[in-house]
Amino acid sequence: MVRLSDLPEYEREHLLAKALPPMTPAQWVPPSKPLQQMRVALITTAGLHFRDEAGFDFLDASFRPIPSEASGDALVMSHSSVNFDRSGFAEDVNLVFPIDRFRELANQGRIGSLADVHYSFMGAGHTPEAYEEGAGQVAGLLKQDQVDAVFLTPV
Amino acid sequence: MTVSIALVRENAESLRPPRSLWVSFPLGRPLGVPGDAAFQHRVINAALELLDRDKGPVLADYPEDAPRIVTESAPACPVSFRPDGASWQARLLSEFAALRSWYQIGLSRRGRTLVGVSDTAPEDIIKRLAEDLDSQRLPTDLVWFKKAIEDVKTYYLEALTAQPGHYDQATLYATLWRDTQMGAGLRWFHDQFASHPKLSGFARIVLPREALQIAKEDSPPET
Repeated sequence: MVRLSDLPEYEREHLLAKALPPMTPAQWVPPSKPLQQMRVALITTAGLHFRDEAGFDFLDASFRPIPSEASGDALVMSHSSVNFDRSGFAEDVNLVFPIDRFRELANQGRIGSLADVHYSFMGAGHTPEAYEEGAGQVAGLLKQDQVDAVFLTPV
Repeated sequence: MTVSIALVRENAESLRPPRSLWVSFPLGRPLGVPGDAAFQHRVINAALELLDRDKGPVLADYPEDAPRIVTESAPACPVSFRPDGASWQARLLSEFAALRSWYQIGLSRRGRTLVGVSDTAPEDIIKRLAEDLDSQRLPTDLVWFKKAIEDVKTYYLEALTAQPGHYDQATLYATLWRDTQMGAGLRWFHDQFASHPKLSGFARIVLPREALQIAKEDSPPET
């Protein structure tokens, strides 16, 4: 897939049907420090977790913590959607959860530091409202971790 | 502050998250190219630059497409899929045996596998699925079934991509859905769920739309 216009009609229609109005109230946080001083966390909706953890259910708004020191290679995926390519993640976890890339940025001083814990949700089947409780819990955890910015990846 | 990667620009336009970088990559590949740290860093840098914006919402377009894989013919597939046996069990186990070495090669090369979410060994998954197919019945444990089919799909994909290189995804998935007995078996399960009075919704998480389209294209025209 390159652009929606390049997709077959059945796929284009399905994806456009997921368009939602803006969430309210609109949120905006202006920058307060340069990137080189920011503490950054990664959050993904790819349904990632460690192999010995319970996987995500068919409809599941819960989240899983991913400690920053953990190896990305230890992560598996239990996303309920079947309509995306998984072969890329099998080759390289950073394609979906760029933990090694962000470690490199922290080592280079491009960002201030990495959060102690990152998070994965599983983004299939639910409306955004279903994630409000979990997102609120994660927001509180990020504040405790003194995170300044979050890098979000879909799948 | 948040910055997000957006895979469907129209949906990001509609939802208006604070800071979003639209990328033209396929679903499942938000950072573009596996194994290409330089490419991934370029995407990340473009997204992180949005944290500097003082007014929003911001939706920026990442200008670089992922490299296209050009194949003049079907890529070298390590296995020729020819059904061998009268029963589903015979055909699926024969196919599994043909893939086993390639899966091991892929495992050695990558140093990891995504197979295992079902806690059932792949060969045992295939035997259980084959029993249901040969008995023409739907599984009763849908939680296990979903995890099991994802494990077996992953097993097949990891075997089919055992050798290093960039694979054309369309060809890879067409091979899985069109040429394998596993693809045919999953189509059977999908069709049964889809026509079940209470389980039709479950069919949506068995087979992707792409596989259904391939099946539709391969069906003989109605007379």
